Amino acid sequence: MSRAERRVTVASPVGLHARPAARFVTAASEFDGEVRIARPSGASVPATSMLAVLALGVRSGEEIVITAEGEGAEELLDRLAEIAATP
Amino acid sequence: MLAVLAPVTGVAVGLSRVPDPMFAQGLVGPGTAIDPRKEVQEAVAPITGRIVSFHPHAFVVQSADGKGVLVHLGMNTVRLPLIRGFELLAAQGDEVTAGQPLIRWNPAEVVASGISPIVPIVALDADGDVISRPVSGEVKRGELLFRWA
Repeated sequence: MSRAERRVTVASPVGLHARPAARFVTAASEFDGEVRIARPSGASVPATSMLAVLALGVRSGEEIVITAEGEGAEELLDRLAEIAATP
Repeated sequence: MLAVLAPVTGVAVGLSRVPDPMFAQGLVGPGTAIDPRKEVQEAVAPITGRIVSFHPHAFVVQSADGKGVLVHLGMNTVRLPLIRGFELLAAQGDEVTAGQPLIRWNPAEVVASGISPIVPIVALDADGDVISRPVSGEVKRGELLFRWA
């Protein structure tokens, strides 16, 4: 079992809102393990929940911390970081 | 069963008519979309609960038992915030009642800006088979749109 963590700055002009959030959550949901998202030093929420990610309300330019635990965690975080960093 | 009400007056056309693949393919969640009547109107809360996300062009209301409904007013999130005329009638964190006005807006102005005014209403984190078949055709704000088991 591997655990990985990544810090990314959200680049979408609307933050992790509807469309980018759906892209993010869809990718996270394909992972066979636990994936969570948080603000640095904030409480984490499941990255697989649209409701949780929208309620987190990450804005453009804010930093997020994504953690994943399970097989392929690094590859998953590569993909999630890319989605978050896409304007 | 949670009754999800139409947040705006218009014609219910289904999510497949939303000009955005994430919404159209149901990746944001199951639900429907309303082509709003092109006149000033107040978008109302689709369910009773707390506003957990509130933007001038979109909001999420979460019920006491944790069901979240996303309503998006128009379909270009990048340019929509630049359009004037979205007047907020509530605030993030507010407890609201189904049918309560949350945002006053004018779909005609959104159209004039070259943006689709279509309003998707989505059950978040829900599988497609837990919502009833949404109504289609003319619908008034506050009327039943679909039920969520």
